[in-house]
Amino acid sequence: MTLDRRTFLGTAAAASAALSAPMVRAQGTPRVVVVGGGAGGATAARYIAKDSKGAIDVTLIEPTRTYYTCFFSNLYLGGFKEMNQLGHSYGALAAGGVNVVHDWAVGVDRDAKTVALAGGGSVPYDKLILSPGIDFVDGAVAGWDMSAQNKMPHAYKAGSQTELLKAQLQAMPEGGTFALVAPPNPYRCPPGPYERVSMVAHFLKQNNPTAKILVADPKPKFSKMALFQEGWGTHYDGMIDWVGEDFGGGNVEVDPNAMTVSIDGEVTKVDVCNVIPAMKAGRIAELAGVTDGNWAPVNAADMSSKADGDIHVLGDASQQGDMPKSGFSANSQAKVCANAVRGALTGSKVFPAKFSNTCWSLISTNDGVKVGATYEATPEKIAKVDGFISATGETAEVREATYIESEGWYSGITADMLG
Amino acid sequence: MTWRTWAIALACAPVVALAADDHSEAKIIEIANDYGLDPAPLLMTGDVEYGAYLSGECTTCHQTSGSYDGIPAIIQWDEVYFKVAMHEYKQKTRENPVMQLIAGRLGDEEIASLAAYFAQIEN
Repeated sequence: MTLDRRTFLGTAAAASAALSAPMVRAQGTPRVVVVGGGAGGATAARYIAKDSKGAIDVTLIEPTRTYYTCFFSNLYLGGFKEMNQLGHSYGALAAGGVNVVHDWAVGVDRDAKTVALAGGGSVPYDKLILSPGIDFVDGAVAGWDMSAQNKMPHAYKAGSQTELLKAQLQAMPEGGTFALVAPPNPYRCPPGPYERVSMVAHFLKQNNPTAKILVADPKPKFSKMALFQEGWGTHYDGMIDWVGEDFGGGNVEVDPNAMTVSIDGEVTKVDVCNVIPAMKAGRIAELAGVTDGNWAPVNAADMSSKADGDIHVLGDASQQGDMPKSGFSANSQAKVCANAVRGALTGSKVFPAKFSNTCWSLISTNDGVKVGATYEATPEKIAKVDGFISATGETAEVREATYIESEGWYSGITADMLG
Repeated sequence: MTWRTWAIALACAPVVALAADDHSEAKIIEIANDYGLDPAPLLMTGDVEYGAYLSGECTTCHQTSGSYDGIPAIIQWDEVYFKVAMHEYKQKTRENPVMQLIAGRLGDEEIASLAAYFAQIEN
């Protein structure tokens, strides 16, 4: 079906105005509360504040004062970025009209429509946007739990964990073994573990060239597999041993005290072990009662929760359909959500949802690759429309251009999120 | 910035330098002929508000400040050349898989609206 845009806009605007007008009169300035200041939450908060021009009160609840991007944190491991280049403040967001509250959201009362804070008190909302990212599934990797994260870091939330993993990498003995336990689908940043393997290999090639990398993977294949494997052969020949599902890569047990990894019964003593466990929606989504299993199902048209129309869930935590869990996806979903939330609260025009994503990965110096797609909202899910992926055998010039493009994207998305 | 990043920036940039104030129908048809494009979409006038909404898909990468860090700035372009670039991506006669994908599903009116919106952004 094709919709004439003006007809669609007129109808949608009239419908949302009719629905929202009584609420606006009854309650004064409508309130939006956003939980989580990452690619989804920060973008949603910024766009709602920017585009509503004071007609909506926007509060962002985010515990950390400095946001370290998970995207590009592998480049810190590889030595291409410094940690301080990945850190961003919320100052510009606050200057842009967002009330930034540095606290943990610890509960949601959906009847009273309030969010409870760890520091005490609660914040009322008319619309709540949850963008809490990921947490890890208990017992996902035998022998590992959160108490083991200092001995065997996950480094899958950027910050101190990433710095810890880098320190362990730097302290590896000559000719030592770096193990990585990859997660099952779905998880944050599908190419992430494999970009990490590439960046660790890059570091070791420079600093510890006889060291080995052992990857245990519960999956038979992974994102950009042909591109990564080609690059590993070209740049790091003989260094990386990837054990996939077919060879028991999913049958893994670790011992953080003995520093051993058992893959399908074969025990290996390792020097560093990066355990990336199975993932689920950030805890607040579960506390709000909007999860079904590990993730929070949403309606594709506006990212509203299937459990509560006044709650929207963005990014990694959401179960939306075909989009990968990525910062780019979360940013894209946030703009669709912001437009819908503004429409519902102020009667502003609501435009049809459009989504897109691109994921860049770095394999070695100036060897960048990318995968991307466009998506649309269907009644069932966010559905893929069209896509592309870098080709194997591309020229060095194309790969360098792709890497430069990824740096441009990093500047672009952080500015788009945080102002 | 290395010579290579400059070269890429230039290759990606539109022919802004050639943009004249002359937006007569005859001039636009001449430009369309130069680029082998249908003149009708280039003659279309865009809606700034619609362009503002659609721009969300662009600003994940292209900075509204006009800064260049590896992805070209797209603010304050001549509208006709903005439309030329987007239609070339749409027809895959201009290289870049991300842009070919994004432009590929934009209609003529959407491209015109984006051109109108980005042309009037102040940095």
